[in-house]
Amino acid sequence: MKGILNDLRRGLWSENPTFRIMIGLCPTLAVTTSAINGMSMGLATTFVLVCSSALISLLKNLIPDKVRIPSFIIIIATFVTIVDLFMNALLPDLHRVLGLFIPLIVVNCIVLGRAEAYASKMPVINSIFDGLGMGLGFTWALTLLGSIREILGAGSIFGKQLLPEGTPTLGIMGLPPGAFITLGILMALMNMIAARQNKVS
Amino acid sequence: MSESVRMVVVLTVIAMVSAGILSQVYSVTSGIIEENAARELESSVFEVLPGISKVEIIKASPQDRLVEDDPKEMREEEQRITLIYQGLDDSGKAVGYAFVGEANGYGGAVRVLVGVGEETNKIVGLKILSHAETPGLGSRIEEETFRSQFIGKSVQDPIALGKDIDSISGATVSSRAVSEAVRRGFDEATAAYKGGN
Repeated sequence: MKGILNDLRRGLWSENPTFRIMIGLCPTLAVTTSAINGMSMGLATTFVLVCSSALISLLKNLIPDKVRIPSFIIIIATFVTIVDLFMNALLPDLHRVLGLFIPLIVVNCIVLGRAEAYASKMPVINSIFDGLGMGLGFTWALTLLGSIREILGAGSIFGKQLLPEGTPTLGIMGLPPGAFITLGILMALMNMIAARQNKVS
Repeated sequence: MSESVRMVVVLTVIAMVSAGILSQVYSVTSGIIEENAARELESSVFEVLPGISKVEIIKASPQDRLVEDDPKEMREEEQRITLIYQGLDDSGKAVGYAFVGEANGYGGAVRVLVGVGEETNKIVGLKILSHAETPGLGSRIEEETFRSQFIGKSVQDPIALGKDIDSISGATVSSRAVSEAVRRGFDEATAAYKGGN
């Protein structure tokens, strides 16, 4: 039981994909123009991570070592396409915004990275929780990034007006430089907190 | 089983299972996706043609012919068909028509829906259906001040950037895409609607 909780916690904080391992940065920077976009991208990735980790872990003994990467990619791509089609059918508004970035989950290093480093070696239950932890870690990072950029760039959060109408906003926050600046500052903060924690313990 | 045979078998089976699942998912979702797109377009027609209560879709082929024996040519012909949305009022009288125009912008295709008055033959409404322009710059083509420039233009007007349409500063390419989309769509739609009707 403790092992499972560790699997879950690792992705959320100590090995957070965005702030600690710094992988999967392309969607991180590209879609976080608003809080809802960041959260949706994170949840879509979480779904793919959990499903593909579970399946890859189940099949790990059947897949020959030499063709494991193509096998993993087919499995991941299948789940991504399922997300893409269902999102297009059920949440067309969201799909229009995230559009291009959903298919790109296939090449998100987090998904293949976890499959290769974890799911292909560990039991199913652990792999599922590892995927869930990593996915939720990615989700909160993207939501935070998106919230900050949305507040500063558009004066709203989750589409609701936060700052009074007419407050000057920073247009740059909605553009790629705003993503880099915000990510950099957040990473510095994370490092500061981690350094403090180390000192205490 | 030798290793190489196993590799082939495993990969093939995985790919086949994946294809099978995806074709099932596709057949479930494709209908909904098409319905969504059609419904959305129809509701947009109400926005660009004020005062209508019903939308009818007219398919007009510019050449007014379909080549049926050659499937490839038929497919190409299919793409050339102009879809026109005719807006009717309560009594069933045509109030105007709407068409979709498309042109390439800075970040990809810009699609616009344009409503034209039946009698005046002038643009009464314009909506940007989809675009991938830079937020804050090119995305300003969605703003009322830019879109309203097209209102009242007829097919004889130039509808060109620098002539009768002012560009948004810092977003020339996006502005041009809109005017080109309107220009191109307007020509096709007028020819199809007035000619082939």
